[in-house]
Amino acid sequence: MTTEALNSKVDDLYGYVQERCLWQFFSRAWDRQENIDGVMSKAEDMLTGREPSRETPTDRLHCADALIMVHDFKERFPWIRESGPDEVRQLLDGLKERLVDLTITKSTNRELRHHLY
Amino acid sequence: MSDCETLAKAAPEVKVAARERAGVINPMYDCQPAGAQYAGIGVKDCIPLVHGGQGCSMFVRLLFAQHFKENFDIASTSLHEESAVFGGTKRVEEGVMVLAKRYPNLRVIPIITTCSTEVIGDDIEGTINLCNAALKQEFPDRKIHLAPVHTPSFKGSQVTGYAECVLSMFKTIAKKKAAPTGKLNVLPGWINPGDVTLLKRYLGEMGVDATVFMDTEHFDSPMMPDKSIQTHGLTTVEDIEASSGAIGTLALARYEGGTTGTWLQQEHEVPNHLMDTPYGIKNTDAMLRKISEITGKPIPDSLVRERGLALDALADLAHMFFANKKVAIYGHPDLVLGLAEFCLEVELEPVLLLIGDDQGSKYKKDPRIKALKDKVHFDMEVVHNADLWELERRITKGEIKLDLIMGHSKGRYISIYNNIPMVRVGFPTFDRAGLYRKPTMGYQGAMELAESIANAMFAHMEYNKDKEWILNTW
Amino acid sequence: MPMVLLKCDKDIPEREKHIYLKAPNEDTREYLPLANAATIPGTLSERGCAFCGAKLVIGGVLKDTIQMIHGPIGCAYDTWHTKRYPTDNGHFNMKYVWSTDMKESHIVFGGEKRLEQSMHEAFDEMPEVKRMIVYTTCPTALIGDDVKAVAKQVMKDRPDVDIFTVECPGFSGVSQSKGHHVLNIGWINEKVGTLEPEITSEYTMNFIGDFNIQGDTQLLQTYWDRLGIQVIGHFTGNANYDDLRKMHRAKLNVVNCARSSGYIANELKKQYGIPRLDIDSWGFNYMAEGIRKICAFFGIEERGEQLIAEEYAKWKPKLDWYKERLKGKRMAIWTGGPRLWHWTKSVEDDLGVQVVAMSSKFGHEEDFEKVIARGQEGTYYIDDGNELEFFEIIDLVKPDVIFTGPRVGELVKKLHIPYINGHAYHNGPYMGFEGFVNLARDMYNAVYNPLKGLAGVDIREPEQEAPVLLREAA
Repeated sequence: MTTEALNSKVDDLYGYVQERCLWQFFSRAWDRQENIDGVMSKAEDMLTGREPSRETPTDRLHCADALIMVHDFKERFPWIRESGPDEVRQLLDGLKERLVDLTITKSTNRELRHHLY
Repeated sequence: MSDCETLAKAAPEVKVAARERAGVINPMYDCQPAGAQYAGIGVKDCIPLVHGGQGCSMFVRLLFAQHFKENFDIASTSLHEESAVFGGTKRVEEGVMVLAKRYPNLRVIPIITTCSTEVIGDDIEGTINLCNAALKQEFPDRKIHLAPVHTPSFKGSQVTGYAECVLSMFKTIAKKKAAPTGKLNVLPGWINPGDVTLLKRYLGEMGVDATVFMDTEHFDSPMMPDKSIQTHGLTTVEDIEASSGAIGTLALARYEGGTTGTWLQQEHEVPNHLMDTPYGIKNTDAMLRKISEITGKPIPDSLVRERGLALDALADLAHMFFANKKVAIYGHPDLVLGLAEFCLEVELEPVLLLIGDDQGSKYKKDPRIKALKDKVHFDMEVVHNADLWELERRITKGEIKLDLIMGHSKGRYISIYNNIPMVRVGFPTFDRAGLYRKPTMGYQGAMELAESIANAMFAHMEYNKDKEWILNTW
Repeated sequence: MPMVLLKCDKDIPEREKHIYLKAPNEDTREYLPLANAATIPGTLSERGCAFCGAKLVIGGVLKDTIQMIHGPIGCAYDTWHTKRYPTDNGHFNMKYVWSTDMKESHIVFGGEKRLEQSMHEAFDEMPEVKRMIVYTTCPTALIGDDVKAVAKQVMKDRPDVDIFTVECPGFSGVSQSKGHHVLNIGWINEKVGTLEPEITSEYTMNFIGDFNIQGDTQLLQTYWDRLGIQVIGHFTGNANYDDLRKMHRAKLNVVNCARSSGYIANELKKQYGIPRLDIDSWGFNYMAEGIRKICAFFGIEERGEQLIAEEYAKWKPKLDWYKERLKGKRMAIWTGGPRLWHWTKSVEDDLGVQVVAMSSKFGHEEDFEKVIARGQEGTYYIDDGNELEFFEIIDLVKPDVIFTGPRVGELVKKLHIPYINGHAYHNGPYMGFEGFVNLARDMYNAVYNPLKGLAGVDIREPEQEAPVLLREAA
């Protein structure tokens, strides 16, 4: 896949997450990181045919969030069903990178790193 | 209830006492700054600036909106933590300048203190001097009056706060040596636009040139094709400036404008005429006769006829439906005492009067309470510094059996959950439509109030199937 | 397009940091409105105070708890009769408010005795009530009354009562948001974990940040009942005090209002390891998504699908009927904060409505990250908007309907723009499937109101006629 094609697909996924997902905007940087990592990892499992772990409460939470997202991805972006494991990983890594950049690294939210809630 | 019982009773007792509990359950009045804000919005081109936390103005604006179904402009200095520690006068200065810059027609800013800024001890008078200098420099062609209004919430109530703000605006704006105007000042107190309209009509019909302070007639304001917003007080700076040159002041509310009448007399030799608030026939008679006496204008035929219409309507209701009915009245002191007198005229028995703040020493000396003591033929209780629990407790404990409650909307659940008909009067009456437009004062007000009472009782009889057949024919 | 300096703000240029107009290819990395910052004095901001954020929004919702407000009377009066949060026990929370009615002597000599006495009286007057929250206010915080010590003493004297104290005077923080925070953190640290629940289901959760506005909580509870999920603590709609002491035993925290109550969810996660799931309970599509996530968490997906199918069958045709008639309408949202991001996409997706301007009173930057991510381009995003800004924004975006409070609603009525109560609703509940149909219905009735057209007609112009609005049977 060309970088351009990849970017355009990541654009679609990113646009969806922006509009739909509250988990990317939790109160603190570490919560956001945890959610982004968790949901992306579960989504990768789901999109590559692996059974995600549901061991801990946090696992189950991220699974619930990922499940809806993956379902909508498949519905809105049919090409994702055709994507192989490597491509899925590339797409989700690209998505994750953008989400982290927006909601953590370059966020100007002044409360993001306050050590207390 | 039995008529004979009432007649047989030899010496009815009138008890006057304060609430015994320390705390309040369901307050009857808001605090001083709320009353001050109400006085402030009665002036045209005026935005009160409340020096305190944002809630002190935000909720009062909401309260006014609830009652009038209108928006009123009131500003806050938005006191935050550092001001609470280091003093907040800088925020007053900033607030005044921001208002002056953004509202080019602004002419009056009452600066209303609250509990927090009084406890901190902000120097309002000194700050006003600084503001005046800054305004003069920034706007050499404008005159903005800044009135200091000291209204700590831990004293008095909305009633005293109203009086305090009216007085401060007069002290700030009234001219030292105003030319005689030949006009009459009318200080009616905190009343609805409907009552202002009525008073202005009466004065007009008598041919008396008068100014009502505060003229709140346009607190009932229209939706216009040009989308203009006309919700504001009509009292102008010029009106207040000229008040010191009036032929006299008619103070219709002892606790709400009375102090300004006294001040105009002491400071500007404008004779003050303190009258019983004109609720009911006799109080209205006395007011009209006093106006006639001051101005030399005769009472016109139109008002004699209106009086007759009112009496004619009241006579249909009084001894057939109202007689021996027990009533509780709560609200502003001038309203409650005026309505008690009205009740007696129509044979209602106001057995419980509730007045809600800490001016007990003044209420005890009120000649209207003394007059009630001399007059009533039933046991009566006057509770001052009262809360609405005083009313609810007496009802739920069976200490009192009421046929009617008269008061504002904050007591609505007492009526609803004890199944007692209620007529909304006073402020606020947010749970009934349009009451701010209707007069309660004067002959027309007495008539309309009596009819509201009758209709409330009738509806109650019908919904409760309680002698609803009486109205089978009337 | 970067941040916007409105014309009315030329004298307060710092307001530019608070107003954003979204343009293509921009996001919050470049442009994030400054939020939760001090208000400029005198701007006629819409904000309330920290005390009201604690008492009025969260604590005062509890249906079995005495709300003792330690301060002058106004703080109690003003946070009573301003909400629509019913309960299933006769609305105890809306009927009563308590105040220590502080006077000057208590300011001078301390108010602790007064508080203690008022607390005992309150329990004595209503002996069946055993729970209480005590709030400090500006003056009692300034004089330093130790309310915790008083509460401890009263609990010692009355072993069957439990008391929680909230210390957030009105001047703390910059808005009501500070009060949400203080109450959340105080509750988790002092009360959660002090009582054990009876577990009746394998699936347990807390529902956090929903205050039963017009029955929201009660409507959603029917869903949880059908799904077999036990809600341990509703924070705080229709809740008992003791329910919220048991929140530590839930397996999941479901958060609707992240602004007012995200703190307690974060702490429950930190202290007890209970995961936090944020959902939107307003909006058809969103509600289904929320239910799916909750059910996926518990592994009861099929129950969720059945519920959603039933609700869709019942309500979706009605929703679509309104969508057909509302699509393309322009809406503004001027509320507290979270409803901006809860609503902007849901009215767009479910009703075809375009949100063209949004203003938040007390949202934080996090809320603006959410709403700007979800909201449209060409839309204004405003922090702590004030009255003159609202006029200018209305002129720029020309909304067909505004979701805001009743006072601002009265203001925009003069401009012939209908409002819907965005805080307390017109005729709710608005949450859930049925609720969003209620919202759509209220919006339809507002937008298709014939009076708006009539208001624009100047009858002096012979040819002017009101536009014809074709209303249909819903």
